[in-house]
Amino acid sequence: MRRTLVLSILGLVVFSLFGAIAMAEENVTISFWHAMSSRHQPNLQKLVDDFMAEYPYITVELSYQGGYGDLQQKINAAVVAGNVPTMAQAYENWVTPIVEVLYPIGPHMTGLEKADIIDGLVPSNTYNGVLYTFPFNKSIMVFYYRKDLVPTPPATWEEYLQIAADLTVDKDGDGTIDQFGTGFRPAANPEQFLNFLEEAGGSILNEDWTEVTINNEAGIAAMEYAASLAPYSLITSAYMSDAFQANQVCMFIDTSAGYYYNNKAAETAGFEMGVVRVPMGPVNQKSMIQGTNLAVFDMNQTQAQKDAAVLLARFLLRAENTVFWAEKGGYQPVTKSAYETEEWENWVATHEYQQAMSAQMLDGFSQILHPNYGDMRDIIATAFEEVMLGEATPKEALDSAADEIETLLE
Amino acid sequence: MNSRYLVDGNLLRQRTYRLVLYFLLFAGCAIMLLPFFWMVTTSFKVESEVLRMPPQWIPKDWQWINYVKAWNVAPFGRYFFNSFFMAITTTVGEVITTILAAYAFAKMRFFGKNVLFAILLGTLMIPGQMLLIPNYVTIVRLGWFNRYEALIIPWLASVFGIFLLRQFFRSIPDELQDAARIDGCSRFRFLWQIVVPLSKAAIMTVALLKFLGSWNAFLWVLIMTNSDKMRTIPVGLTLFSSEVGTAYEQLMAASVLAIIPVLILFFFTQKQFIQGVARTGIK
Repeated sequence: MRRTLVLSILGLVVFSLFGAIAMAEENVTISFWHAMSSRHQPNLQKLVDDFMAEYPYITVELSYQGGYGDLQQKINAAVVAGNVPTMAQAYENWVTPIVEVLYPIGPHMTGLEKADIIDGLVPSNTYNGVLYTFPFNKSIMVFYYRKDLVPTPPATWEEYLQIAADLTVDKDGDGTIDQFGTGFRPAANPEQFLNFLEEAGGSILNEDWTEVTINNEAGIAAMEYAASLAPYSLITSAYMSDAFQANQVCMFIDTSAGYYYNNKAAETAGFEMGVVRVPMGPVNQKSMIQGTNLAVFDMNQTQAQKDAAVLLARFLLRAENTVFWAEKGGYQPVTKSAYETEEWENWVATHEYQQAMSAQMLDGFSQILHPNYGDMRDIIATAFEEVMLGEATPKEALDSAADEIETLLE
Repeated sequence: MNSRYLVDGNLLRQRTYRLVLYFLLFAGCAIMLLPFFWMVTTSFKVESEVLRMPPQWIPKDWQWINYVKAWNVAPFGRYFFNSFFMAITTTVGEVITTILAAYAFAKMRFFGKNVLFAILLGTLMIPGQMLLIPNYVTIVRLGWFNRYEALIIPWLASVFGIFLLRQFFRSIPDELQDAARIDGCSRFRFLWQIVVPLSKAAIMTVALLKFLGSWNAFLWVLIMTNSDKMRTIPVGLTLFSSEVGTAYEQLMAASVLAIIPVLILFFFTQKQFIQGVARTGIK
């Protein structure tokens, strides 16, 4: 009798437990908006498939939303309409104005998981002291060069300028330069200047965003350095890989995510490409971290959906997954433990270019979280372009940019 | 003797004129065709040939596989169906609504006609980007998000088309309408049996512009839909590009596939299209 009673109680407990688990694991579908092109989609799909295999009650619907600009427009419209996805890729400055409708993932992560995120990536995902978003497809600006023409890559700004000058030649003597030492895409990639700005100790705004500092002494020094490179630079709006393949440039600063295309260009043109850290500036050797983070929305989502999204976030941050994403897509791992895995160490050992990228990543800086950063970036791009095309002096261009940024602050 | 020289001189001038004319036309034609030529040949190149300098105009080995690869990047079969469905329904719908509205503005008298027309024209001045978020909210509230309704219904009317046809309909003499009505012809019959056949070229222009607009529509489709089942070809074409590079050969293969229906359409309707362009002054 007693045995029957114990068995019955045990059965009841087990049944309740299974019931609770079944309740907790009710089927849930989450939507994930992204801007990953066809080259990255199979990798993202693989990660999501692995996640769904581990959590069979969760279905993740990946939804391509065009380029980053298209995605931003759609997120903004969706927030107004209350029709947001469960999670989406987002740049830092997209998040600032909509942080109130986001579900912070930090409070739902363990201390170890949070501490594992690369230090340089924490501030750019933290809003009001809380880790809201998490880093996803991160790349870093590095220095690409032709090994045949640049036997020793430049380590400092001075060396960069000197080698650029030496390599700029009019091969056929027709008065037009056929080969430039370096190249810039000022309109499309103002980050090339922002790197100089950071390395010169400058910034766009002061720390509390109350004052524009881009035209201070450090800012002007950075732009003057860019201007000194202008005579030896191809100024283009096309991808640098196109100019690289056409033998028009010998070295340039570009994102690590462009490695695939830059290396393909080098192979096609028949030379070997090297990758090193950006040349050391007067103050530091930092370079800009690029790429988006992932945000989970709190708006019109059930708790089960938010929980599932947080699970996916934690899954993507696992060392093996951020390593997989990095190896396949040309991005950089976003957690410290990922850099210590055997898989990644082997990868770095067998892929020389990764050594520079990894080292640079651990010494990177992110864009500021100001909601108007996108407009500021456009203003800086214009100033950078004017200087590189010789249409304005560094001081004129930066003073004008500072005035425009000032109006954005107002 | 002198007259023979004169005739010969005229002939020579005419021939020279023609030679120059044909040369210029040929040069213009070559310039216009060059991007198409590049698109088609690039769609058959290996990656390394795409941006080679000096350009490799003709691929060494024709890579038909590019078409297979491009086709497999996304459900392009579905995208084609959606593009056709959207383009055809919006074209038919717009032609019908535009004809009716243009006739009303051109031939009927009603209170506030000119004010209403001015307001309609005023809507043309609002940049599309500004309307994107309000339109998105409207579509979501109507429950049309990620459905064909969102892709079709808002595009069943066009102010530009109304304006264009109204101008054309106004050139048809009122006396014709008066005579028809005296003979007992209803307005509707007059419109469909007299005005429409007389305006075939202009209507064809409206239809073709609409078809092309719908076929090429990108941002609207991208914003108003989420799933692959609802997407169209232009959205699919963006898959080949990223911030750091583009798979040109696959993009060009997909682009060739995307323009084939438009080329076929233009081939069969070019006479009406050119007439419409010439008569309505649209370029």
